[in-house]
Amino acid sequence: MPLSLEEVEEIRRILGREPTEEELAMFEAQWSEHCSYKSSKLLLKLLPSEGRHVVVGPGRDAPAVKVFKDWVVVFKIESHNHPSAVDPYNGAATGIGGIVRDILSLGAKPIALLDMLYLGNPRNPHANWLIRGIVRGISDYGNRIGIPTVAGDTWFDNAFNSQPLVNVACIGIAKPDKVVLTTPEPGDLIIIMGNSTGRDGLLGSSFASKPLAEDVDRDIGAVQVGDPLTEKLLIDVIQILIEKGVVKYIKDLGGGGLTTAVCETAADHNLGAVIYLEKLHTRQSLTPLELLVSESQERMLLVVNPENIESVARVLDEYDVMYSVIGFFTDDGIIKVFYNGVKVAEVPAKELAKPRPLRRASTPPLEVLKGLKPLYNLPPEPNYEESIVKVLTSLNIVSKRWIYEQYDHEVGIRTVVKPGYGDAAVLRLLDGSRRGIAVKGDANPRYTYLDPFNGAANAVAECFRNLVAVGSKPIAIVDELNAGNPEKPEHFWYFEMMVKGIAWIAEELKLPVVGGKVSFYNEDHRGKQVKPTATIVGIGRVDDITKAMTMDFKENGSYIAIVGVTYPELGGSEYLFRIFGLEEGEIPRPRPSSELRNGKFVYKAISLGYVNAVHDISIGGLATALIEMAVKGKIGFEVDIAKVFARGIQRLDEILFSETQARYILEVKGEYLEDLLKLADRLGVKVSIIGRTRDRNSVVFTKNSTVLVNLDLSYLSDIYDKTLEEEIEGGV
Amino acid sequence: MVKVAVLKFPGTNCDEDVHHVLKNVFFVDSQIVWYKNFSLNGWDAIIIPGGFSYGDWLRAGAIAARTSAIEELINARDIGVPVLGICNGFQILVEAGLLPGALLPNESGRFVCRWVRTYVERPRGPWLSLTTEGYEIHMPVAHGEGRYYIDEENYQNILLKSPLIRYAKGDNPNGSVYDIAGVASEDGLILGLMPHPERSSEDLLPPRGFRPGGRIIFESLVYSLKRGW
Repeated sequence: MPLSLEEVEEIRRILGREPTEEELAMFEAQWSEHCSYKSSKLLLKLLPSEGRHVVVGPGRDAPAVKVFKDWVVVFKIESHNHPSAVDPYNGAATGIGGIVRDILSLGAKPIALLDMLYLGNPRNPHANWLIRGIVRGISDYGNRIGIPTVAGDTWFDNAFNSQPLVNVACIGIAKPDKVVLTTPEPGDLIIIMGNSTGRDGLLGSSFASKPLAEDVDRDIGAVQVGDPLTEKLLIDVIQILIEKGVVKYIKDLGGGGLTTAVCETAADHNLGAVIYLEKLHTRQSLTPLELLVSESQERMLLVVNPENIESVARVLDEYDVMYSVIGFFTDDGIIKVFYNGVKVAEVPAKELAKPRPLRRASTPPLEVLKGLKPLYNLPPEPNYEESIVKVLTSLNIVSKRWIYEQYDHEVGIRTVVKPGYGDAAVLRLLDGSRRGIAVKGDANPRYTYLDPFNGAANAVAECFRNLVAVGSKPIAIVDELNAGNPEKPEHFWYFEMMVKGIAWIAEELKLPVVGGKVSFYNEDHRGKQVKPTATIVGIGRVDDITKAMTMDFKENGSYIAIVGVTYPELGGSEYLFRIFGLEEGEIPRPRPSSELRNGKFVYKAISLGYVNAVHDISIGGLATALIEMAVKGKIGFEVDIAKVFARGIQRLDEILFSETQARYILEVKGEYLEDLLKLADRLGVKVSIIGRTRDRNSVVFTKNSTVLVNLDLSYLSDIYDKTLEEEIEGGV
Repeated sequence: MVKVAVLKFPGTNCDEDVHHVLKNVFFVDSQIVWYKNFSLNGWDAIIIPGGFSYGDWLRAGAIAARTSAIEELINARDIGVPVLGICNGFQILVEAGLLPGALLPNESGRFVCRWVRTYVERPRGPWLSLTTEGYEIHMPVAHGEGRYYIDEENYQNILLKSPLIRYAKGDNPNGSVYDIAGVASEDGLILGLMPHPERSSEDLLPPRGFRPGGRIIFESLVYSLKRGW
């Protein structure tokens, strides 16, 4: 029972009497970590959430950002880690359902989904089962509701074998005057529409607010089951209701079910409510307690002025959407719940909605010293060709085609830059203009495990670079913090550091963190936390989608430029892990001022038409990024790594595989080389021209005139394309 | 003025895409029609777009094929109204018996979303009137149940006498027999195909190496409705 003794005492004080069974369940649901953010609230205030674009910040179901004068983007991230560990298919599917309804609650039209998956080793049978189930769950649900899954992030690591992280995000667009921001008033009716309430997902948010049990199957009743057809109907009817202007306020019934939806809506507007539980449409006969805390999916709360009830009902009937009018709002701030004439609960909305924040103890564990270890005695450099192949075939790097081809990423006909082609997805607004938005999700669990502050900051920086690389201007981010048990100081410390890292760099990069989500208790039944992971989803503004940039080399003979300075930063790198099996060392330092300067330069170079292709340098370093560009463009290259602008380098593998931040690779059109260098000079950006693309079937790295690496491009393409499928389909 | 109905069932999700292409790319008057309100009267052509009608319960397209809207549609053949079924629309037409064969789960067992090359054989009728034998069309597929199946006898006797769309060699994404991507009635009045022409009708959308060839299907319709086929 996640309510602590102190909390029960607090409830007695609030009510001035012994709580009823129903009231206790309501408090348990609402005061769960998942719904109330009680452990995280104080620290989350550190995040900069303001900016001139921000229309709705944290607090509502989803934030809204004014990306263009006449378009608002509503976007949010969510985790479904616990349900996905127990029932990967339904857990992941309902994660999609929930995040979409958050976007709908502001009256926006959902246009894209992202999935950020931190998964186990596909050769581990249990992890393999989880991977297939999760991807299939997202595929089946996302495809059926007609929202394209356009981007994401994937990581494979033994640390996630039994507890994967399933983070999903949804992007919606709305006209500024249609965003649902009106205020519910006393006398307004409360309608629950959508799926009938059943016994699934009972106290699911409370289940998500404790560690996984050893026998996870016992928690199966806490996992919700998805119904994408109903979700699709909700999407359709909400667009119609918004167009007709007959709904005042919308809220998702997510974690905490009916209790959370009613009490948060009431508390946020200084209202009370009267609820008649027997009016709710149900799948089976349920007790009042179950009705209050069931987390059955595809349900939404509508607030409707009594005079509009008929037109709302007409639309819902026409589209075969079930609904029930279950009560109304009052002005007394008290939520009264009746069941067949008997009062089963009477609680003050505000006290129920917002438990007292907890100040959790925080201590760095000894393990974190790994992230401070200097790498002064690395083994000698192995053969470069073998290293390149080994790093390229890391599952964290190879093509994710096996995953993204299972998602309909084309529906909606907005996806201009598609999965596998660019550093971020680009979607057009489809309003007759050339405008669009870029979206991307990023994290690096290894970085945040070794150094949560800098690791989380690097995730923000990588997201920033990915958005720039497709030719967009980064506007805002949301974050999902996946951490361990907040009751354990040495777990909570990671959470605290991740928040602080994001807060710091977001301020530096002037990227408001407009919303987010926290997921605690990501530990296995032995109490070992998974790699704490800060997932960032960002949106960028694209003024002209016809100039959206991809990463594939386009032409023979164009110049290859590296933007930024390369430092010997192999700590926490993919190279170190793949080649030497080491997960240690100081991770690459976040470099916000270089990010801003280099980002501005790349953005300019793209809009001036100087470049054919752009790719940011991230895990796997320079060598990997170059090969990815060659593989995708089916055009080889020859580069001289002696020409890379670097500092403090002692070994060549540091140039090839260092994961120094704030760097990009550009394919520069020959005729614009001079202009590009002048632009770099003017903006104070370090650019090194290291070679040219070659229409030959080889990739060549030299040092001065010595050939270090000469690999066959078709071979590299082949392993890049097929490795993931082989690992998952043939790995067990 | 030409008017095209875009028929929408619960779970249809490409209705707005088809509507957009008709209206904004080809300037054709079109309307999304909710299945409950559908009747055959007054339409020059009918398109059943993709999606997951009734959530693909039972089998893809099976429930929609038994609605009154589709019963109406069966008369379309008699009065000569062109019908196009895309993806789930194709599945519905097959389930309703308006086109031969069956659509089975993909050979891989997985949903697949990918751009493919297809080509046309024996073009005939309003949907392919501007194409020629062997005409290449690039379009994306996005389906879990798109493996076309027909037995040898019906293939020889029916399909080889009708217009056909096949995946180019090596591009068959689902294990369809004879690489079949789309089939039509003998006169070409009714066409069903798994790939999405509406996703391949604008220059911006195809990835590198592909062309927006799907537009030829809508262009053919516009042309044919004016000049006959």
